[in-house]
Amino acid sequence: MSRTQVQPVKARPQDLPVKADLARLRVAYRKDSRLAYLGHLDLIATIERCVRRAGLPFSIGNGFARRMRIQFSSALPVGASSACEYFDLRLDESVDPDEALGALRGATPRALEPFRATYVPGRLPALEAWLDRASWEIELVGCGATAAELLDAVELVRGRGTLTYLRGEKEKRVDVTSTLVSLAVEEEEGGLHVNLETRSSNAGALRPQVLLSAALGEIGCELPAATRIRRCAQRHEEDGRLVEPFGPFGKTGETSVS
Amino acid sequence: MRVARKNLFHLLEPLLSEVEHPARYLDHEWGAIHEQDGPFHLCMVYADVYEVGQPNLGVSILYNNVNAEEGMSCERCYLPWKDMAALMRERGVPLLSLEGAAPLASFDAIGFTLAHEFIATNVLETLDLAGIALTSAERDEDDPIILAGGPSAWNCEPLAPVFDAVLLGDGEQSIVEVCACIRDAREEGAPRREILRRLARVPGTYVPSLYDVVVDDSSTRWGYAVARSCEDTPQIVFKRCVNDFASTPAVAQRIVPYMGIVQDRFSLEVLRGCARGCRFCQAGMTYRPVRERPAEQVVSCGVEGLLTSGHNEISLTSLSTTDHSQCAEILRDMNAELEGRGIRVSIPSQRLDSFGVEMAAAVAGGKRGGLTFAPEAGSQRLRDVINKNVSEEDFERAARNAFEAGWRRMKLYFMMGLPTETDEDVIGIARMAERALEIGREVVGKGVKSGVSVSISVAVLVPKAHTPFQWVGQLDPEEVRRRQQLLLHEIRDRAIRISYHDADVSLVEGALSKMGRPGFDLVQRAWELGCSFDAWTSEFRFDLWQRAAAELGLDLVDVACESFPLAARLPWDHTSPGVDKGYLQREWLRALDEVTTPDCTRTSCTGCGVCPTLGVHNVIQGVRS
Repeated sequence: MSRTQVQPVKARPQDLPVKADLARLRVAYRKDSRLAYLGHLDLIATIERCVRRAGLPFSIGNGFARRMRIQFSSALPVGASSACEYFDLRLDESVDPDEALGALRGATPRALEPFRATYVPGRLPALEAWLDRASWEIELVGCGATAAELLDAVELVRGRGTLTYLRGEKEKRVDVTSTLVSLAVEEEEGGLHVNLETRSSNAGALRPQVLLSAALGEIGCELPAATRIRRCAQRHEEDGRLVEPFGPFGKTGETSVS
Repeated sequence: MRVARKNLFHLLEPLLSEVEHPARYLDHEWGAIHEQDGPFHLCMVYADVYEVGQPNLGVSILYNNVNAEEGMSCERCYLPWKDMAALMRERGVPLLSLEGAAPLASFDAIGFTLAHEFIATNVLETLDLAGIALTSAERDEDDPIILAGGPSAWNCEPLAPVFDAVLLGDGEQSIVEVCACIRDAREEGAPRREILRRLARVPGTYVPSLYDVVVDDSSTRWGYAVARSCEDTPQIVFKRCVNDFASTPAVAQRIVPYMGIVQDRFSLEVLRGCARGCRFCQAGMTYRPVRERPAEQVVSCGVEGLLTSGHNEISLTSLSTTDHSQCAEILRDMNAELEGRGIRVSIPSQRLDSFGVEMAAAVAGGKRGGLTFAPEAGSQRLRDVINKNVSEEDFERAARNAFEAGWRRMKLYFMMGLPTETDEDVIGIARMAERALEIGREVVGKGVKSGVSVSISVAVLVPKAHTPFQWVGQLDPEEVRRRQQLLLHEIRDRAIRISYHDADVSLVEGALSKMGRPGFDLVQRAWELGCSFDAWTSEFRFDLWQRAAAELGLDLVDVACESFPLAARLPWDHTSPGVDKGYLQREWLRALDEVTTPDCTRTSCTGCGVCPTLGVHNVIQGVRS
């Protein structure tokens, strides 16, 4: 009886690079215009192809599927645009970050254009979990409620503690008390302008349209079809302070929580 | 007056948040051609959703060729899924192209790809959503010219009333000639009828409205098409064939989709045509002769295509890639070029008789998922009937090579309802699956952890036009179900999984493959009753197809299962891929005698007639063994 075992890579396991020791390039990019409608999995595949086209010396995992070592910030709701998305790419060799940014910009559709790239410490936690604070701007075009009514309604939802909603056919729950940091509403021509600050954790994340749908539902209104949602900042919250995605990462560089 | 050409994306955008998979409608992909200045505008349509249509290589080739022409532009359009179509109808939004978001009805010409028979109702759905009259006869002077082509054009009669012209065979050159013909005729102010007459003079172009259908004693009940004597049209339209295939660009797929599509990889067509001569295979007859690209072109263009697209997998596509005379060399050189880049080289399916040790090592790099072989029939006798020239020894050797090279899952394709099939042949399918499993367990080990499994997929033979089985009636669906049960009871090992094609689906496919021009009434009625996306298991409505047939006084079983006399004039005899009807008749008689016919790329000419008729020949880069 013969048996052939196939190794995914030729090197011995002990000779393979340790992931944390690889250069970790953090890239900021935007997601807007019609690509706001690109789902998270499709976005991941698209960015991976951009990295390949850019010719960067990306590192490949040692698993069966030989995947690119890349991590993304948390998924945006489909239809939401963003001024501040991030991915961390592990490279087999360090390249000049400006050159890497130039190569990426030349290989990426304009609506996903990268605008900053810097190396960050290799042992920082994974991006998705680390960036646990988000700032949102929401335009409720054609909303029938006033600013005061919406604020009161949000307080009502927050007062209940937990919010239950349907995502597809699945029932989901989110703790509004811990995930809603702040909310400000202004009335403007044709509707309302909302500034929302959220916090995410292992327990879940608060989606702006979930909160606003529930709040508007309290006062007999629906979320307008022409609602525009934009993520404008993502940060890390640590010991009551906010750390920007590109650092500085030490205690000295932290900004205070607003 | 033709609908005005303008960008209407602002009408579509508000609908995006209300539909599933809005990425289907976004356009702006990497590699898409945004400058669509014309002044001649063609829109290529694949009448299914984006993720099914976008991988189509034929559309990519024609898209590139037309866009490369000065003064011509080509855009794409896919059929919106049902949720979007309903919203578009509700809000009065017409069907738009992707690149320019222009109404389909504003184009000079629209080209449909007929990938399979089930696309028929979707063609009508597309035209209706676009606000274009369904039939050629109903269209106004200024309306777009509706073209079609592709593998299913070989019996396009059930859709013949829809199309102004059908392009037969390789479309690389003919699409440009047809577009130029329409453009010039429009510039001269020629009336629509004159444009169609001129199109009929472009070689390889069939203009259905210039042919009458005659039913007489020499024909089947569906009749045959006769060129109108007053028109300057050929009685038989022969296909176009690009003999110097290697001179055509090998990198055809330049557009990189945003969303996951059904074949999400970079595809490179390494050869066109297959002369193995399987008697059920329409592509094997209609894509002749065999034309290989040289190994160095495949390797260099494959690497270029991967680098410019960013894909992490390349598929070397063709009807039978392992038949390429330099296949081992291509795989070896390509794997060497791509080493360390996390890129996988794959081949769509393997032939049992050409899957050697070297091939096993070279395919798929380090990753060993499933491996697919297509023995097609469960006994040597029946494989001889269908001319699938593979033996038990080929099968055993290929299975052993595969398991030894690291594969654990094997998929085997079979067909049911082949001519002369007996219960013994059906039981033979079970025995082959068991044998594959036995070999796997011998090589890998017997425990559950060895992970050895075999799945078999059993389709129903649907006799197709221009094949030696074109006269054969399809197997009655009740008998199909009995044989499926027989096979199911013969399979006792739980490591063998079995899947079937639905007998009712195959029945409708069979009816559409057999019917002549009167088939249009069936397609139209089925669509009116709500049939669309028939190729989707979830959407197929057999009850509606049956109702449509009943309303027209037809019985689907009667239509699909009818055999035609060998001497009968067939509904598709006026379109020809160059294969002689006499050759097909001889092949049918040899099938009944269980006599095989060799592959002309390995022996001498077998007399199919393609080369002398079309003035072409096989182009083999090395030596086929």
